[in-house]
Amino acid sequence: MLLLPLLALLSLPFCLAASISAEDAHQKLVKLAAANNGLIKLDDSSYNLLTHPKRTWSSSIHFTALDPRRRCAPCKEFDPSFTAVAKSWSQVPASERDTHFFATADFDNAMGTFQKLGMQTAPVLHVHLPAEGSRRPASGRTAPIVYDFSNGFDAGPLAEQLSQYTPVPIPYKAPIDWSKYGTAAGVTLIFLSTVRLFLPILRSRWAWAIGIVLTSLVMTSGFMFVRIRGMPNSGANGQWIAPGYQNQFGQEVQVVSFVYGLLASGFLMLTLVTPYQTNPYRQRLQVYLWSGVIFVMFSVLISLFRVKNRSYPFKLLL
Amino acid sequence: MPLAYTLPSNLSPATVANTSSLLRIVALALISGAAIASRLFAVVNFESIIHEFDPWFNYRATRVLAEKGFYAFWNWFDHTAWYPLGRVVGGTIYPGLMATSGVIYNVLHALNLPVDIRNICVLLAPGFSALTAWSTYMFTKEMKDESAGLLAAAFIGIAPGYISRSVAGSYDNEAIAIFLLMFTFYCWIKALKTGSVLFGTLTALFYFYMVAAWGGYAFITNMIPLHALTLILMGRFSSRLYTAYSSWYAIGTLASMQVPFVGFQPVRTSEHMAALGVFGLLQIVAFAELVRAHVSSRHFQSILFGSVIGIGVLGVFAFAGLTYKGWIAPWTGRFYSLWDTGYAKKYIPIIASVSEHQPTAWPSFFMDLQFLIFLFPAGVILCFRELRDEHVFVIIYAVVASYFAGVMVRLMLTLTPVVCVAAAVAFSSLLDTYIDPVEPDVLAPSTQATEAEVPAGDSPANAPSGSATTSKKAKKAAAADASSSGLASGVLAAMSPSGKSAKPRGIFGLDTRIVVIANALGMLLFFVLHCTYVTSSAYSSPSVVLASQNPDGSQHIIDDFREAYYWLRQNTPQDAVVMSWWDYGYQIAGMADRPTLVDNNTWNNTHIATVGKAMSSPEEVAYPILRKHDVDYVLIIFGGLIGYSGDDINKFLWMVRIAQGVWPEEIQEPNYFTAKGEYRVDDQAAPAMKNSLMYKMSYYRFAELYGGNSAVDRVRGQQVPKTGPTLDYLDEAFTSENWIVRIYQVKKEDLLGRDLKTANSFDQGKKRKKSKPLARRKAVV
Repeated sequence: MLLLPLLALLSLPFCLAASISAEDAHQKLVKLAAANNGLIKLDDSSYNLLTHPKRTWSSSIHFTALDPRRRCAPCKEFDPSFTAVAKSWSQVPASERDTHFFATADFDNAMGTFQKLGMQTAPVLHVHLPAEGSRRPASGRTAPIVYDFSNGFDAGPLAEQLSQYTPVPIPYKAPIDWSKYGTAAGVTLIFLSTVRLFLPILRSRWAWAIGIVLTSLVMTSGFMFVRIRGMPNSGANGQWIAPGYQNQFGQEVQVVSFVYGLLASGFLMLTLVTPYQTNPYRQRLQVYLWSGVIFVMFSVLISLFRVKNRSYPFKLLL
Repeated sequence: MPLAYTLPSNLSPATVANTSSLLRIVALALISGAAIASRLFAVVNFESIIHEFDPWFNYRATRVLAEKGFYAFWNWFDHTAWYPLGRVVGGTIYPGLMATSGVIYNVLHALNLPVDIRNICVLLAPGFSALTAWSTYMFTKEMKDESAGLLAAAFIGIAPGYISRSVAGSYDNEAIAIFLLMFTFYCWIKALKTGSVLFGTLTALFYFYMVAAWGGYAFITNMIPLHALTLILMGRFSSRLYTAYSSWYAIGTLASMQVPFVGFQPVRTSEHMAALGVFGLLQIVAFAELVRAHVSSRHFQSILFGSVIGIGVLGVFAFAGLTYKGWIAPWTGRFYSLWDTGYAKKYIPIIASVSEHQPTAWPSFFMDLQFLIFLFPAGVILCFRELRDEHVFVIIYAVVASYFAGVMVRLMLTLTPVVCVAAAVAFSSLLDTYIDPVEPDVLAPSTQATEAEVPAGDSPANAPSGSATTSKKAKKAAAADASSSGLASGVLAAMSPSGKSAKPRGIFGLDTRIVVIANALGMLLFFVLHCTYVTSSAYSSPSVVLASQNPDGSQHIIDDFREAYYWLRQNTPQDAVVMSWWDYGYQIAGMADRPTLVDNNTWNNTHIATVGKAMSSPEEVAYPILRKHDVDYVLIIFGGLIGYSGDDINKFLWMVRIAQGVWPEEIQEPNYFTAKGEYRVDDQAAPAMKNSLMYKMSYYRFAELYGGNSAVDRVRGQQVPKTGPTLDYLDEAFTSENWIVRIYQVKKEDLLGRDLKTANSFDQGKKRKKSKPLARRKAVV
């Protein structure tokens, strides 16, 4: 007998929501959206409106916590992208525009909703598909689709992904980055105007040699690995060698390329420079010096490698 | 001139030449032997078996070629692959590899040597590595001299970077492609040096062979034009360049279009446009040169210069327009992912999912090339010092290949040859300097008498120059001598192109020579030890057969894959369709001889995503997919029992990702992680994970094995729930000795038309729940 009032209590929110008909809710949402550049600021009640059980519209709801007290850095990063995409949606003709809504629910305004959904992290982006009408998904899915942030927080991929759920694609265009083009044009102009000064450098084979050798040194020290994987410069607690054979930190690029460079220059010194030394004693000194440098640096390199690959059986000095 | 040590003086020059050429031949033969022998670890440690995945397809195709002849092979339509689509094999492969082994097979049989085709396939890669060593020798000989060539041949013969793709049994396109790459480059350098059409045509022919053998031919297609373009920009256009390039481009392009898989790509895709553009530019430049030879007016020449640039710009615009119009296909995804490294992960997860397409960390470079990797910059600098046309080629190759190798582990293979060449140049320069017994004259007084009035005759190099014309030079040299001992002057002298320096060059004393050469020989010895160790421990595993060590140190062979594949072969009907993740498609086709849904060809992303969806969905969702594709058996790889980390649960996220790319609404990657974002398989695993077909098949009855104790997955290091998953739509058919391969049979529909789940619970004697609330309410209404 206790069950009945409990059930009634549970269904209270549904009754409340259902008490407003779907059409009325839609009207209100259209107004709310129009008032704020196409982006609805949600609180608990308007959240229920937007996720009306008989909705004929779809919606993208962005849960965030922008208040500085919440210290949510990714929220701040993602918010402009979402706002920009929502704004671009308002350019769509009204007939299509009003079938998809963009809304932001800030934690401080819609605490009840956050609690109800058991949301622990932000930002989160839900896409609610229509529950009725012609755009109702064939699977009859009413649960929200959670947007996958694996493509980052940028507006471009966001608009592209969300366009799958809107009746027409979102006409989002990335704003032209004038500063980038300006810098590029400026650099080109400066380069062209001073090309006479640079010409001897451009014509000099040793300038090219240094450039090319530095490039290949950096590349063979795993620079691209660090860039593609976005590895940090060094690990936590000041550790600068990443554990593991298929892994490395940014600092290792510098160290390893320096060791390679030193070894290569040791060989070059022995081959090219030392033979021109006309004083036998100084030459002997140079030969011993560079041979020593090569031997020691090679041992250092091997010991570095042994740190990375623990089962490597060989070692020199160290 | 004083000598550091004495040489025999009673030898005639002819004897020296003959002996050294004999020694070279012996050395090359020994290098070939070493190259072949060091690739045989896999055969010695395991057996003569085809390795890994792709080689199994190549082997299967070669068998068709050997048994049924070339035309049958050419027109081969494989019904069993990509069931039910099938695959036109002749038009979707690079046939060079199979044709090569087919020719060898037929030649041997014509000589009445009945060699098994499998042994030819297994030993093809080591055999060609010997040829690679020879062609690297030829190439390096053009760069410096024979001794550098021998060093380069020895380096490439045993460098792990190349061995990794060419051990015995690794019957893949790369096995012959590196030989072709180096030989094409050698022909190109030769053609450029001599301006001979013969070598240009040879370049084209080997280019054609390369196109027929490996998709990486695009590297040559872009390297040669880049070299030609750089030479033009450096003002080194010559008729030799014109002849070499034109003959290569015209014949090579026409020939490459004969390969069905390539077809019209050379004129329709962006990868090949650089070659066409440089071809056009060369014609314009050649025409301009011709006109310049006949017209003397400077004014006219400047107009000509302007028009050349104008035509070039026009050409670029035309190219852009054609691309925009869609006449020329833009860069393909695979190629594009080399430049924009985030591209593949975003748009083509299949490519990003392959482990050899990951970026390279520095230990891999060192592992594969050891001391060559730091000799390589030194060699590049030496190339800059001379900077003949062919050195420009090595320089471009060096910088391009080191970038590519950094982006993709797999492209280490293209870096290895140039590293060997450059390192050999550096190393042999060092040896040349320190083995040479000639000592320079000691300038005894020069260090004390630092005055600039040192007579010119004092310095030996200037000795012959008594005339007034060179006195200025002599003064300069003397001035330099005054500060001679400084490092800076030595560097300056070194930087001037070889042979032009007036300063004397040489090493004093015997001890210095011994120190440097002992150091160098020690490094070589270490390199040999390193290569042998790396080859035997890291690169010689067939990955079809696994090896582990018993507690007493003896080798224990884990042969689960073949056990399972032979079970399929023996116990299932010939046309039973086997579904597995695409990695195992070629092996199933090759060893079990059963139709597969997807394989390593990965040409149809949707089909792969279908398999991914079936694996990552709950049983009820997956079952209709399996039935619609006539799947009889599902094969999965599970390493949890013995700790084999390359198993399907570890690849599972890629299946999810690829399926998500096609069905973003049904499959979503975040659902397979726990709320905290962890990838778990234990009690706390995400519900989507626990319900997925892959999870259920992997851990089905796994906990029973531990008899009540906690079952631990040794790969993930997590405890598996004690009550394992149950299966309603599949039956366990076979599990191999170490549980690596598990095969499940897909049940047919229930004969009474029931849902298989209900039928199952009926069989187990469970009563159907009488009170289904939903049904009752419906009944009331």
